[in-house]
Amino acid sequence: MKEWFIKLSISKKLTLIAGLLGVLALFIENTSNKNVIDVNAKEMALSTIRNRDRIDPVILADWLIKENSDFTLVDLRSEKEFSEYNIPTSVNIPIENVLASDLMRNQKILLYGNDDVTSAQAWFILRSSNYKAIYILKGGMNGWKKEILFPTLAVNATSEFEKIKQISLHFGGTPQLASAEQSTTSAAIVKPNLPSLPKLTVPAGGKAVKKKKEGC
Amino acid sequence: MTSLTGIFSKKESAAEEKIFTPKPYSNPYVVGVGLGLVLLAAFLIMGRGLGASGAVSTLVAVGVEKVAPDHAAQNNFYKEYLGDGTTNPLKDWLLFEVIGVVAGGFLSGTLAHRIKRTTEKGPNVSIRTRLIYAFVGGTIMGIGDRIARGCTSGLALTGGSLLSLGGWAFMFAVFGGGYAVAYFVRRQWL
Amino acid sequence: MMPYFKFDYFGFDFSLVIAFVIGIGFGFALERGGFGNARILAAQFYFYNMRVLKVMFTAIVTAMLGLFYFSWIGWLDLSLVYIGDTYILPQIIGGLLLGMGFVIGGYCPGTSVVSASTGRTDGMIYLLGIFFGVFVFGEMFPLLEGFYNSTNMGRVTLPEFLGLSHGMIVFLVVAMALGAFAAAEWGEKVLAKKNGRGVE
Repeated sequence: MKEWFIKLSISKKLTLIAGLLGVLALFIENTSNKNVIDVNAKEMALSTIRNRDRIDPVILADWLIKENSDFTLVDLRSEKEFSEYNIPTSVNIPIENVLASDLMRNQKILLYGNDDVTSAQAWFILRSSNYKAIYILKGGMNGWKKEILFPTLAVNATSEFEKIKQISLHFGGTPQLASAEQSTTSAAIVKPNLPSLPKLTVPAGGKAVKKKKEGC
Repeated sequence: MTSLTGIFSKKESAAEEKIFTPKPYSNPYVVGVGLGLVLLAAFLIMGRGLGASGAVSTLVAVGVEKVAPDHAAQNNFYKEYLGDGTTNPLKDWLLFEVIGVVAGGFLSGTLAHRIKRTTEKGPNVSIRTRLIYAFVGGTIMGIGDRIARGCTSGLALTGGSLLSLGGWAFMFAVFGGGYAVAYFVRRQWL
Repeated sequence: MMPYFKFDYFGFDFSLVIAFVIGIGFGFALERGGFGNARILAAQFYFYNMRVLKVMFTAIVTAMLGLFYFSWIGWLDLSLVYIGDTYILPQIIGGLLLGMGFVIGGYCPGTSVVSASTGRTDGMIYLLGIFFGVFVFGEMFPLLEGFYNSTNMGRVTLPEFLGLSHGMIVFLVVAMALGAFAAAEWGEKVLAKKNGRGVE
């Protein structure tokens, strides 16, 4: 059998190989079955150890102020919640649509929901579908509100005070001063009277990233 | 004296025979596989295919911009190739690729002794006519490949292997257009 | 994971070096195939030398099979390979023009570069023609812009368009190519007997 193959002319050899591969393709049908996945559980577990994929709201705020555009900010909540308020430059992709979306596997993606749970779920879904760079905003929208929009600042804090106040005002938030008494009272659970959420002036999503032409 | 020149001329003609006998072209299927592998390499490494006409467009756009920058800035076609000013438009992937094509073609031609300052044409037409046809053909091609957004390397080969609908439709159109007109210019070739 | 560039294995500047190297391979292959010679290219349209068909389709089949199988074994993320949008009407019209330019001038952009690099004057003149043609197009662009951007079907592949699986289309393309090769070989033999010559 082998000698017969070797004796064939080059053209016939190529024809045979092409034919076989073609017929095989017919049976394979589709190369990427997007719904069934292979998860390397150990790898996933190990990747959580260094905590490098959790981003503090303060760091995100810093990126946004510096107009860092090498990542995509994704709001996993419903459309309604998104239109009430969303972090500037974020794109609304409700968690149930996250796999069917336009997100590409080589993008840096930062996820947030209302809290940590939704973003952790989306983190798992995307990571197990081979998305390479997925990050979670620590605390989600609640964390954003608490640390950036309405930070509670102790009166006798240091220069951090001014910096955090500036960041908060940049995003249209309202920093609140904690009075000395609040830190001592423990029994009464005071429900903070949150001022209204800032009006959105920055249009959400809509990346103006210039895609380099890759055509002919 | 004559014997001396006789020796030299004999040597020369022997050398000429050695140098100027071009090797025959390789098996087209083998060449095709080679070309396909180069294309595949581009896909696997860069995530894009080959091209040629894009490089010409870049050069034309840069040229127009040097001569008449306002005109270029207002024209949507040139604007595409000039970018937004942050990078030098000449740092274009296709442009570097085409420079490589020049080098590769020359290399292959040299190895096969096929470098020759000549004009390829059929036996029944003059060099002048041939060159006029070449220029006209090139012009039509230049307009055509911009309308189609690609040429045979970019659209047909790349788009074809990616099974793009536009690529395949284009390929059939190219063969169609060629065969349709072939009869009328046969004097140039046959 | 491939494509390497899309996963940041290297940066844009190095990709230009890659472009140059790939270009060398491209030019080398074209010249090897005889595509630096207008007479061979034009011969395709008179049926007596079908190299253009053979090389083109072999290349397409090779790359297509490569894409399919590399994706199947999970090394290549096919969704990250760039496929241009299909603008069906301009691409057909452009293709027809291209075919005309091909048989009138004897080259296409890539092959004219190879031809010029191996010393052919007609290749160089043809290349100048392309520059001129692109310039004419650029100047006429405001008039053509509407047509240029018309009938955009987005990114459409044959499997999507025909509703068949990727593998089925691969099979059909291979079958079509092999059939075309057989026809070409037979055609060349018949015509060679008739005319008593071929172009080599």
